[in-house]
Amino acid sequence: MLACSVNIVVTELTGSTFDKFVTDNRIAVIDCWAPWCGPCRRMTPIMEELSKELEKKAGVAKLNVDENEAISIRFRIMAIPTLLIFKDGVHIDTLVGLRSKEDLMEYIGSV
Amino acid sequence: MNADVVIIGCGPAGLQAGIHSSRKKADTVIVGKIKNSALYDAHIENYFGIAGKTDGPVLLEKGLEQALSFGCRHIDMDVTRAAAEGSGFRITVESGEEIFCRSVVIATGISRMKLNIPGEKEFLGKGVSYCAECDCNFYKGLRVAVIGGGSKAALASELMTGYASVVYWVSKKISADKSLVNRALKTGVRPVTETPKVILGEDRVRLLLLEDGREIEVDGIFIELGGRSSADIAMDLGVMPEADDSVRINNKCETSVTGVFACGDITGEPWQLAKAVGEGAVAGLNAAGGVKGIK
Repeated sequence: MLACSVNIVVTELTGSTFDKFVTDNRIAVIDCWAPWCGPCRRMTPIMEELSKELEKKAGVAKLNVDENEAISIRFRIMAIPTLLIFKDGVHIDTLVGLRSKEDLMEYIGSV
Repeated sequence: MNADVVIIGCGPAGLQAGIHSSRKKADTVIVGKIKNSALYDAHIENYFGIAGKTDGPVLLEKGLEQALSFGCRHIDMDVTRAAAEGSGFRITVESGEEIFCRSVVIATGISRMKLNIPGEKEFLGKGVSYCAECDCNFYKGLRVAVIGGGSKAALASELMTGYASVVYWVSKKISADKSLVNRALKTGVRPVTETPKVILGEDRVRLLLLEDGREIEVDGIFIELGGRSSADIAMDLGVMPEADDSVRINNKCETSVTGVFACGDITGEPWQLAKAVGEGAVAGLNAAGGVKGIK
């Protein structure tokens, strides 16, 4: 058998903590997900690793779209997983679909 | 139905796994359609011992015949669901039939997801989706089209009738099992027998243009080609695929889950016949060895 990955808990946001998280982090990466979504579950370990590697450079968090419909309507989310990217409190990009850690590291490095 | 080993996928990796598993006297069932193999649309000229060009279907049909001659059973259907059950696994096929087994070999190749038509890339996340299971909730009361002729599209169409106001099922040809098609039609899915050509809209999807010139007004388009994706089958069995949909294996073709093996294109590049066959042999031997207690 192969070894399993390490578990690191990524901050779980709600409608009431979302805006503060965005303004508290110069760069914020928010993974919009739902428990029944297979690709979202595959994003989980990637976000955990990203959270660890980007510590102090960017804030990494998750948002359950099923429980926070107002946020998904606000950002017009129609597919998951979707990553919302913020810089200095401003929504600068929306990335749709599963991505590798390497792709995301490269992308965030360019922000 | 019970079996020692179920092999999901009927390409070169799956067939070779079947040959080695059945020659080890394991009761082996291969599930899958040879037409779904990437080899079906290819020809071979770089495989050991086969000179000149050989068409993929010729090789696949001979391989299937060979596997059957060693005692393999073959179910010519897609897998719609897989799950761990007790000390083994339950594999469900299009007709609803279930197979209970001790070991599973995933040999499904890499699933084709994209349709490659204009508008598909531009509207991803703005009306275009590749996962009805994930995104159904965003389309409550809206009009959607599901594209694809296989079991995945049939199931997605049926699922979407629980959310959308109208569900069009768009495909020139239907290859899904009749029972799945009937189930989808009974729920009110509207079949459209034509090939999709262009996805149109402004900031969101608005229209699906068909080859015959017809236009369908829709708010969402679900592209659901072929059968259940290889990544989803892996996840059903508790194996977490990589971001590129490949599955990690060790030198015994074992995955991270005991009793689940993988071989062929799903384990990563090079996507070559020789590599698929080699891994198929290893996976088949070890899957059969595991159930027979042979080290």
